[in-house]
Amino acid sequence: MLKNMNAEKSIMMLLCITLLIFPLIGSAYDVLNMSYFLSTVFLSISLWLIWGLTGIFSFGQTAFFGVGGYAYAMISMNFDNPNMTILALILAMVIAWGLAFLLGYFMFYGGVNDVFVGLITLCVTLVMATFLAQSAGSQWKIGDVLLGGDNGINNIPPIAFKLGSIELSLYGNSLYYFIIITMIIIYLLFKKMQIGKLGYSFIAVRENRERSQLLGYNIPFLQTLAFSFGGMLAAFSGVLYVTWGGYIAPSAMDISAAALPVVLVAAAGRKNISAVMIFTVLYYFLSQKLSVSGSEYALVILGVILILVILVVPQGIVVTLFNFFDRIFFKKRRRNVNGTTTDSKQAGNF
Amino acid sequence: MDSFSFLILAAIGLAIIFGMMGVINLAHGEFIMLGAYITTLLSLAGVPIPLAIMLGALGVGCFGFIVDKLIIRHLYGRPLDSVVATWGISLIMGQGMLIIMGPSLQGLSTPLGSFTVGDINYSTYRLVLGIIACLLLVILYWVFMHTKFGLRSRATMQNEEIARSLGTNTSRMYTSTFVIGSMFAGLTGGLYSFTMSIGPTFGSGFLMESFVTVIVGGANPLIGTVMAGGTLGVVHSGLSYVFGTFIGRVGLLVAAILFIRLWPTGFSGLIEKKLIRVKRYNG
Amino acid sequence: MKRYKRLFINGMSLILLSLLFVACSDDSSSGSNEDTIKLGVLEDRSGDFALVGIQKSHAVELAVEEINENGGLLGKQIEIIAPDTQSDDKRFQEMARKLILEDEVDVIMGAFSSASREAIRPIMEQNKMLYFYNNQYEGGVASKYTFPTGAVPEHQVMTVMEYMIDNYGSNIYTIAADYNFGQITADWVRVAAEDLGGEIVGEEFIPLGESQFNSSINKIQKAKPDFLVVLLTGEKQSSFYEQWNTSGIKDLPMATTINMAQQYEHIRTEAPALANMHVAAPFMEELDTPEAEAFVEKFREKFPDDDYVGMEAEAQYTGVYLWAKAVEQAGTTDVDAVIEELESGLSYDAPSGTVSIDPKSHHAIKDIYLFHADDEHNVSNIFKWEQVEPYWLHEEKGIDLTKDSPNEQYTPID
Repeated sequence: MLKNMNAEKSIMMLLCITLLIFPLIGSAYDVLNMSYFLSTVFLSISLWLIWGLTGIFSFGQTAFFGVGGYAYAMISMNFDNPNMTILALILAMVIAWGLAFLLGYFMFYGGVNDVFVGLITLCVTLVMATFLAQSAGSQWKIGDVLLGGDNGINNIPPIAFKLGSIELSLYGNSLYYFIIITMIIIYLLFKKMQIGKLGYSFIAVRENRERSQLLGYNIPFLQTLAFSFGGMLAAFSGVLYVTWGGYIAPSAMDISAAALPVVLVAAAGRKNISAVMIFTVLYYFLSQKLSVSGSEYALVILGVILILVILVVPQGIVVTLFNFFDRIFFKKRRRNVNGTTTDSKQAGNF
Repeated sequence: MDSFSFLILAAIGLAIIFGMMGVINLAHGEFIMLGAYITTLLSLAGVPIPLAIMLGALGVGCFGFIVDKLIIRHLYGRPLDSVVATWGISLIMGQGMLIIMGPSLQGLSTPLGSFTVGDINYSTYRLVLGIIACLLLVILYWVFMHTKFGLRSRATMQNEEIARSLGTNTSRMYTSTFVIGSMFAGLTGGLYSFTMSIGPTFGSGFLMESFVTVIVGGANPLIGTVMAGGTLGVVHSGLSYVFGTFIGRVGLLVAAILFIRLWPTGFSGLIEKKLIRVKRYNG
Repeated sequence: MKRYKRLFINGMSLILLSLLFVACSDDSSSGSNEDTIKLGVLEDRSGDFALVGIQKSHAVELAVEEINENGGLLGKQIEIIAPDTQSDDKRFQEMARKLILEDEVDVIMGAFSSASREAIRPIMEQNKMLYFYNNQYEGGVASKYTFPTGAVPEHQVMTVMEYMIDNYGSNIYTIAADYNFGQITADWVRVAAEDLGGEIVGEEFIPLGESQFNSSINKIQKAKPDFLVVLLTGEKQSSFYEQWNTSGIKDLPMATTINMAQQYEHIRTEAPALANMHVAAPFMEELDTPEAEAFVEKFREKFPDDDYVGMEAEAQYTGVYLWAKAVEQAGTTDVDAVIEELESGLSYDAPSGTVSIDPKSHHAIKDIYLFHADDEHNVSNIFKWEQVEPYWLHEEKGIDLTKDSPNEQYTPID
């Protein structure tokens, strides 16, 4: 057991434990706030899956984030029955999965790759945001629920269960635990997948498409697969955000919202899922603190930090730290399980 | 025509940097904004307009040089990291401008007045913009096709390692590319500063259009951008005029999506393929 | 050598990370000081809406400074807690929760865009927090805890349309921003046109962030309206005026509800781009009443670098005073007691004239001026409507917030 120990594992375990007991130490507000940070982590994980692991450069994960949020809002508010919120959650994810699958099929079977995938996904995102922003009129509604235009949709119900006399509404601590437990499950699943056949197939696609194709991999299929599940995860993140704040608006999908996950994943070290998760939380934490301070320099500081991160620690800040701790505490030269690979030429490797 | 020149001018700086270096410059909009600020401030101070625009472009070129020396230079060959870095630059520039100059700046009137065709007034300046867009393309074509610099830069673009081993200073090529790209961004900002209201988010009005044009254009900054600008311009202005601006914008994006799906390497890929085929026939 | 480099990199990353933590941990714990009354402010001081957000934050600072210098409120000083919301709706939600749960403020004021307001309004209701939205908007919010004290279409659209149709003719062309504010206000324009005998000869909606208007301008020229209603918003859409100036119809009368008074386009663009523009608003810097001039002078003295003092700054200033007066009368900051006072038809002599709260809709009753810009962008007030009431929610929708609150936003479309 201890032999296999490394910095990444120990830090992640430590974090898990801290996060699990967090509601005992933090105030109600801290927990609520942390749930928000953690809900955004899923969006980063989804980008890690398709970009970090499979090498598909998507600029449009927020489109699926939005689809998830809007679909959940539409379904749960139309039924207006707490039990249906679970169904709404599942349906929202299925819808996003389906859309991502269609879009993926459309792109990958048509031979679209690299930065051009980024463009198509960005365009899709912007089309959706532009469309939703102008949907304020009463002609734009699904069922009984107005799309609400740029003002978005309000008073979206939280996820709830009702079994006989037991009623549980996911809010506050319960929402927090729901998020943290699904996150741990998903994390472990991906860790497992990464060292399985599927994981290696994805990596093969990332590293060299032509070679993998010659070796008999069905590249478009693998890409579509990764892309559709990435979309689903992003939608899950969207649903969590919506239940957290009871609100969704098109600005969740605009161009700066779309660029943020890309920046986060790249700065963290896009090939390592743990790094991506940790950095996402750190970033949101920091940017919130800067915003609270009310300083006009907040965005400047954020920009400087990002540039420094990328200049000083090119592998991604968290990955570098993992390596550092590894050398100090675990006397290892270098980790190489899909972590930081050898510095092959990254040019054009979107 | 109008839409064409807007797309071309918005995209050209980005296209050069992306085409040559593979760097997606997320701070492109802010570079344009900087150009607009310099030009406006100079003309407010009494500098004649053409000179002010030139100085704006030069100023942004210098700024691009500094940015390149400080940051981008360290990221050659790492286009992904440069996404993060340029995002950081754009945050700093946008907010920095707000802190230094405040949220707004007095704009200037569009020079040159207007002319009338039938019932409708057209701005002469807009026509000039169109001419400048075409002229820039011609100049670019000449620089890239008929000068030593152009030859070297094309070589660097096609295969950096071989170019370097044949004695081209590729690192210097990248620097000059980045500076030229920045200059064009500054020029765009200067040119449009007379027709738009100016503030720290000036550049974001160009961002979407420039991205779409560049990537539909594909890797070759020259052929690709022209073709993409032309096609998308027709789609956009046609749809806007007939169905309204909303449909125009959505149409632009949908056209881009369909186009990429049909020709996955962009316009320049399409053309290059054609050229190769023609050469094969001939050979 | 390589070793050192690696050491350096690791060292740097450690420093960076610890910087992150330091930045995070210096939680200068928003002093649980019981001796102050806390006023939470959510305004955009960076990003797209900074143009107005900065003005509005300054207006709060001015009002609070004055109140504190005059002995404070209920014998306590007012403390402002003002995070920067960065023109980001998600940030509004985070910060609203923080102000309520962590800082435990007594009242929240702020938000510029309607989307930001809608993002935080449910949070206010959930937490029973008193909320002032001191901003011009499309109207229709009926919510127990929300007091939208800015101007609404009853104040601005009905008035300006009456003047324009009487003076310039009945053919109207509307160009509006393609989102809730623009669409709903355009509906109001249509309603007003029907009531007053005007005719809409054309209507176009422009997506937010669009800065190129040539095809729209061509269409307006073809339609040949008697006057043009411009409901464009945001920095990029202000470009319309410059482009209209060079290729539009010379001297065509224009009317608006937001431009000039809110985002001072007449200062930001060179004359004569906004020549012959009319706006109906409670306040502009150029308003020549003694109260208005005194207010502008105070504002300028405290913030000499600000470009303009617009109607939102005045509304925000007035909002603070309305709340302060209600607290003073209630003798407590308890939300329900303060709301009861506000619903008693409280009024305050604001820089723009007397402003009172309409109990049934929570909106404000205020004086409205018609401002006109000439060829050189000199603005003068040429007409005044006394004490215009926000009647619509009550008369058309039967809302009476003193009895029951639907917590919804109504639109004239449905």
